[in-house]
Amino acid sequence: MSFRRTLLAFAIGLAVLPAHAADPHDPTTKELLARIAALEARLATVEGRPEVPQVAEVDQRLRVVERKQELQVEADAAKVATASTVSLDAGKGLSVKAPGGLEVKLRGLVQADHRNFVDGSSQNDSFLFRRIRPILEGTWGPLVGFRLTPEFAGDSATIVDAYVDLKFDPRATVRIGKVKGPVGLERLQSGSATAFVERGFPTELAPNRDLGAQLQGDVFGGVLNYTVGVYNGTVDGRDAVTSNPDDEFEYAGRLFWEPFKNGDGNLGTLGIGVAASLGDTFGAGNNFLPRYRTPGQEQFFGYGSNIAANGERLRKTMHGYYYRGSLGLLGEWITSSQDVQVVSGAGAGTRAKLENEAWQVVAGWVLTGEDAGFRGVVKPASPFTIGKEGWGALELVGRYGELDIDDAAFPLFTSRVASANAARSWGFGVNWYLTQNFKLVTNYTQASFDGGAAVGADREDEKAFFTRAQLSF
Amino acid sequence: MTTHNKRRTLRNLMLGMALALPAFAGVASGKDPELLNVSYDPTRELYAEVNKAFAADWKAQTGETLTIRASHGGSGKQARSVIDGLEADVVTLALSADIDVLATNGKLLPANWQARLPHNSSPYTSTIVFLVRKGNPKGIKDWGDLAKPGIGVITPNPKTSGGARWNYLAAWAWASKEYRDGDKVLAYLTRLFKNVPVLDTGARGSTTTFVERGIGDVLLAWENEALLTLNDPDTRSKFEIVVPSISIKAEPPVTWVDKNVAKHGTRKQAEAYLRFLYSAKGQQLAAKHFYRPSEPDKVPAALLAQFPEVSQVTIDGAFGGWKKTQAEHFGDGGFFDRIYKP
Repeated sequence: MSFRRTLLAFAIGLAVLPAHAADPHDPTTKELLARIAALEARLATVEGRPEVPQVAEVDQRLRVVERKQELQVEADAAKVATASTVSLDAGKGLSVKAPGGLEVKLRGLVQADHRNFVDGSSQNDSFLFRRIRPILEGTWGPLVGFRLTPEFAGDSATIVDAYVDLKFDPRATVRIGKVKGPVGLERLQSGSATAFVERGFPTELAPNRDLGAQLQGDVFGGVLNYTVGVYNGTVDGRDAVTSNPDDEFEYAGRLFWEPFKNGDGNLGTLGIGVAASLGDTFGAGNNFLPRYRTPGQEQFFGYGSNIAANGERLRKTMHGYYYRGSLGLLGEWITSSQDVQVVSGAGAGTRAKLENEAWQVVAGWVLTGEDAGFRGVVKPASPFTIGKEGWGALELVGRYGELDIDDAAFPLFTSRVASANAARSWGFGVNWYLTQNFKLVTNYTQASFDGGAAVGADREDEKAFFTRAQLSF
Repeated sequence: MTTHNKRRTLRNLMLGMALALPAFAGVASGKDPELLNVSYDPTRELYAEVNKAFAADWKAQTGETLTIRASHGGSGKQARSVIDGLEADVVTLALSADIDVLATNGKLLPANWQARLPHNSSPYTSTIVFLVRKGNPKGIKDWGDLAKPGIGVITPNPKTSGGARWNYLAAWAWASKEYRDGDKVLAYLTRLFKNVPVLDTGARGSTTTFVERGIGDVLLAWENEALLTLNDPDTRSKFEIVVPSISIKAEPPVTWVDKNVAKHGTRKQAEAYLRFLYSAKGQQLAAKHFYRPSEPDKVPAALLAQFPEVSQVTIDGAFGGWKKTQAEHFGDGGFFDRIYKP
């Protein structure tokens, strides 16, 4: 009897094997049933038993085995659905997901630059790390999202982004913490995706990261994006300090329209936006008054040490982009006005509202045919592979921009020797996306100035040759 | 007031308004209300129709568009999911013990939840019957036949399925009456569960095992599940129902989950949804889907005629209530653990 059971178990084992190793030559269940029945009959004959188990009985046993397998598969699937998963993806980085909308992602951005100033610049040629940022972000259930980005590239570690999102609806998300203000378009572009190594003049007039709370969302089917927020307030082009320096807040808002967003893509990607910020600020020094930099990151304008911010700071901007196929265009215009006062020395007590203005146009063309976009070339069609044919994606970029200082700033609020009255910059570059995660960048930019040197002369042109190796994931 | 101070006051007013925005963001999202009904396995068809009918009724009464979603699975498993965070607005489970754990372990509703709606919060009942293959080839007539050698009995796992617990208790009730000896009752149930080749996690899974996979000779089934099988043109010619000499009155209860409805702002809708089950329309829908209405006077006699006469014990009368039964029979180390060893 036990021999018979062993045979039967062996036969059932054979029957379930195809689930693991499907071979077209394997016998079917029906064929196995027939064989088992034949074996049972032969066994009964050998044992001298008159009765032969019914095929139906064997059939039942096989069905039970199959059903148990089916239930096991269901149980395994249910287990997978409730289990945490860890994944590593070239585009998304390291991700840990758990049921209930829990996800923590670790991404990173490293930029190693070499900066060479051709002649005339007071800046040193240098190797430097521009950004070293591990990015921790994720969702904690359907309501809460977060992002924490430290920066290790400077002399000391700082926090770049640190915010929590309360995602009530795609139409209404509240973001609280240290965030990029909504004013500058190129400022809102990721530091890993900008066409040039350094952003252009308009970003010098837009606020950088600020501390506050903002309501944002996509409405009208996602074609209109809005942001309104309240912040501590920060000077043009710089991050906010760790706490509000003057007990005043700044309010900012932006509307950005992407009319073709829900289309079939034939018309490309068009985005047009307006934004503004408004707030009072009172005080002297770098936390209150702006300093503007060249594309080579050298200061060419700053207020005198006897000047204080004394009231309203208003920024207005219009901006947009258009991407279609390999073509990319980005344009931005911005003004920033500030009430200022001479607090000591010549002209003490004099007040003025000074309005500075900047604009730029950036154009790009991806020679290798990939789509251009606000996030750069997302994925080369043929990534660079050693010993093989792929060379990655190659993009040519060009830029022209101007920054104009209010004439009324001179000579009372700043010196004609220390500050230029206007700056113009043009540049071109090549972005070589070897892979989805690794990019080499080469830029040449040249800036010329009105004023900004002794005895009424113009500051010498800046000729900067920047290269960058960037790893991002 | 200086210009500076006036400006500051204005700005602070704007700041206050801006900070108030998050509070209105939820409202601004303007979502229609939703209810999630976490139910047990065989109620799919019933609630598919109830949900439609109630949503239409609610729209007519209030003008509000209500979306009702349903989740089905083994009753015990569903209860655990709710405790683990599945945000059910209402639960309509197979037995009150599964809702009791939401009160005791989950603190999601008050302990007296069962007193909030009529008939101990059971708008409909059912009982346990046998579904056998056409012609009843194994001659199964009563509970005693299920423990005989060579009989394949299909029932889900009492650890995960409310229906399975009713099956088990009905068998226990028959054996108690038949043997009047505890050891013999345990021996009978041990033999019965030895005849169970597959333990599904829920009643619908067992129906699949028996009806679609062709396993076993008899399915211990909710009466509504058995009648549903016979009502299906594809399966009606293959099966028949055997009504045992004794069965149990299964009372699947319903309630709203206080903590979740408070969070979602759906208390009003949830309560109205459950009270709808007691209305004439709700009771008729229950009978249509083969559940015995708790208020049969609201249902036409023709619909009631489909339910056969069967002698039924109750959980309170025969077993001393669910709390006691749960601990004695289905708790860790309880009678079921002694009877069935995988």
